[in-house]
Amino acid sequence: MNDSKVFKYLRKIGVFGIVIRVFLAWFAIAFLIYPNVNLLVSLFYKNGEFSTEVFGKVLNSARAMRSLYNSFILAFTLIVTVNIVGILLVLFTEYFDLKGSKILRAGYMTTLIYGGIVLATGYKFVYGSNGLLTRGLVTIFPDLNQNWFVGYPAVVFIMTFALTSNHIIFLTNAVRGLDNQLIEAAQNMGESSWNIFRKIVMPILKPSIFAITILTFLTGLGALSAPLVVGGVDFQTINPMIVTFANIPYSREIAAFLAIILGIATMILLAIMSRIEKGGTYISIAKTKTRFVKQKIHSKPLNLLMHVAAYGTWLIYVVPIVLVVLFSFSDSRAILSGNLSLDSLTIANYQTLFVSRRAFRPYMVSVTYSIAASVLVALLAVFVSKIIHKNTGKFSKALEYSMLIPWLLPSTLIALGLLMAYDRPRALLGNNALLGTTYMLLMGYIIIKIPFSIRIIKSAFFSLEDSLEESAQCMGASAFYTLRRVIMPIILPTVLAVIVLNFNSLLSDYDLTVFLFHPLYEPLGIVIKAASEETASLNAVAMSFVYSVILMIISATALFLTQSDWANKRRKA
Amino acid sequence: MIEFKNVELRYNDFVAMSDLNLTVNEGEFFTFLGPSGCGKTTTLRALVGFLKPYAGNIVVAGNDITDLPVEKREIGMVFQSYALFPTMNVYENIAFGLKVKKLSKKEIHEKVMAVASKIDLSEEQLYKNVASLSGGQQQRVALARAIVLEPKILCLDEPLSNLDAKLRVGLREELKRLQRTLNITTLYVTHDQEEALTLSDRIAVFNNGRIEQVGTPYEIYNKSASEFVCDFIGDINRITPRLIEKINEQTTGRRFKTDREAFVRIERIFGEVKQNYASIKGKVLDKEYNGLYTKYTYEVEGQKLKNIEKNDGLISHELNDMVDLFINPDDIMQF
Repeated sequence: MNDSKVFKYLRKIGVFGIVIRVFLAWFAIAFLIYPNVNLLVSLFYKNGEFSTEVFGKVLNSARAMRSLYNSFILAFTLIVTVNIVGILLVLFTEYFDLKGSKILRAGYMTTLIYGGIVLATGYKFVYGSNGLLTRGLVTIFPDLNQNWFVGYPAVVFIMTFALTSNHIIFLTNAVRGLDNQLIEAAQNMGESSWNIFRKIVMPILKPSIFAITILTFLTGLGALSAPLVVGGVDFQTINPMIVTFANIPYSREIAAFLAIILGIATMILLAIMSRIEKGGTYISIAKTKTRFVKQKIHSKPLNLLMHVAAYGTWLIYVVPIVLVVLFSFSDSRAILSGNLSLDSLTIANYQTLFVSRRAFRPYMVSVTYSIAASVLVALLAVFVSKIIHKNTGKFSKALEYSMLIPWLLPSTLIALGLLMAYDRPRALLGNNALLGTTYMLLMGYIIIKIPFSIRIIKSAFFSLEDSLEESAQCMGASAFYTLRRVIMPIILPTVLAVIVLNFNSLLSDYDLTVFLFHPLYEPLGIVIKAASEETASLNAVAMSFVYSVILMIISATALFLTQSDWANKRRKA
Repeated sequence: MIEFKNVELRYNDFVAMSDLNLTVNEGEFFTFLGPSGCGKTTTLRALVGFLKPYAGNIVVAGNDITDLPVEKREIGMVFQSYALFPTMNVYENIAFGLKVKKLSKKEIHEKVMAVASKIDLSEEQLYKNVASLSGGQQQRVALARAIVLEPKILCLDEPLSNLDAKLRVGLREELKRLQRTLNITTLYVTHDQEEALTLSDRIAVFNNGRIEQVGTPYEIYNKSASEFVCDFIGDINRITPRLIEKINEQTTGRRFKTDREAFVRIERIFGEVKQNYASIKGKVLDKEYNGLYTKYTYEVEGQKLKNIEKNDGLISHELNDMVDLFINPDDIMQF
């Protein structure tokens, strides 16, 4: 751009446009680029020269090496177990004609409202050393080790059932999208049900399963809540180790290095996934698609077996939630003994939540952080998307790529980057530090939600007809007036959905929170995790049940408002 | 009124329209006609201001508007998709531009009601969601929204293309009536030759980034300036040099070159005797009954010719009949 072009461009975007662009450029440099560059530099560039000292530190740390090994073992195991369970769930609810499939689906969908640290603590409550199931088993088998639910199998068990959400969402859609005439054509040619599933259905579902597999692997690699809660001393993975090392100044470098390994693995897998998305997606060539009809199982024994398996799995999903809800209404005595009776039912725990400031405080903290971060990130995403939407210049490209950085990095790496960059005053923040302030966690929340928010809001912008803006312009409207009066009302439902979904997922966040929270303002995730520890008081345990129940209600409401058929119909209307 | 002076339009390195020189008169219904990708919509968008010419000038009423921003050109536009704002009702859509102009509520209301009555929108319809309207009603609202601002020029980009055939014919007539009532200079983009011929005062036929011919519908149809125009408008027969020689033998006066093809419209080949016309013999190969008329295909001197005969009961041929056909040399076009 020569001088006159720059001047014309600046005149075109106006003062407001210039201010927004300067702010976004500063934000991207200060929070998305600098912390990560600073992390790399501080690790590999010491006393003015390239240093590999950190490699030695990691190689010499048995715990670090063990955690690396465990993480990969866990990730590979989960690929198998999650896919088996996840595919079965979708077959039970969508492919085969089983009785009560709606009830089954509702049970399997509980992981959408009951995940992360809440789920891990809930499972521990059922299966842990003081867990209800363990106590029941001990009465039957007195010699049973009460600490049976610990280590690798326990982590795999929890994560297997926690990670089927992707199957429930994406694979369900893939099965529902099957063209029934494909099945009928194969049947017409004399193919058996099993072969139709193997040769026709599975190849169509393969790209979705592959994408889900990579997401599962990534989640397994970056596992934090489950290993922390039930991993025990023998099965700690990378992320819990990073948390441990990050709290020791001498070992912070090891934490950062482990986070970088996690980051590199994430980037490689996302690149693979991106290739799959581009090349391997099945596109229906049906001119007139017919709705998929569930397959009947004609063999009676097989039908019975399927029903038993479906409802057995359903119980695994539902029992911890039912118990958490029931025990949230129980007194301390019942929680301690694990025996529920009508006498022990009480609403005292809920009263405490609303009466005791101390009990309510974690909610206040989490709700405040989540609302602030969700609204701010949505605003940011609107402005970034608006710039990306109509401009193909270098600035908009650089802005778009820098905003996608958090998508490539695990939250642990983002947290460590922020911690190491802003543990002292920096010129980029007007000579202020973030460490020790309440803004640290807020910035972390905003950063991790940027890629998702931009992807969704950007697609809302791109789905707009160009002629809408053009017709407003024809009638004399300025760019800002058009954004305010024409564009925003159209994309508002999407923006609100993004706010609600972000709010929902941040409310009980633990993975990022554990690094960045202010000690005086403990969010819910931290409090619920503390309640799962052996040293936790009965009151704390009782309150964590209440927290969990209310979180589930909020999550269910959020999902209903944004994802349900009702919400979709309203959006279309 | 509107002048395109040596205008060149580009999309990056692709030249969409080169050396465009065109004048549209005040109050004229002027149509840009051509196939997809010929540059007609690009030219319209340049006039409205969505595309800046790479070279040349656009002048409206003596004022150079080449660098004037869209919002200051006072040109109304109806988009192919209508571009109605889905979050606003019909009234709000029509009032949008008036609000931008900061007119008082009373003025806005008066203007909206006036334009609604002009285009037959009832008061009840004004408060409906635009999504609940039929295609024809949406088209009316888009038109109302454009003309309520009383623009100097009205641009319509294939506004009837999303409607079914019958509705299209009805709205075509309404559009013409409205344009005459308002006496507004109108530029109309279409690829539909019938639409162009019935609506326009003048037509510019676009092809491959340039204008092939500008003229009245009669001139464009009957005195096509190029093979492209001749071929694009209406149904034509190609006459091979062998048949041209035969026609030359029979006619006096006008002689046709025998080193190239000539063209004659299918309705200009007659199945009844015509004095002073060239006469040729054809064998009926095929007939397509179409209610109002029948389209015949003949084999003549080793080539195929087509004509149409009105289904008035006077002429009817069967397959393999040998038929005398008559062509007026004045109807033959050669380029």
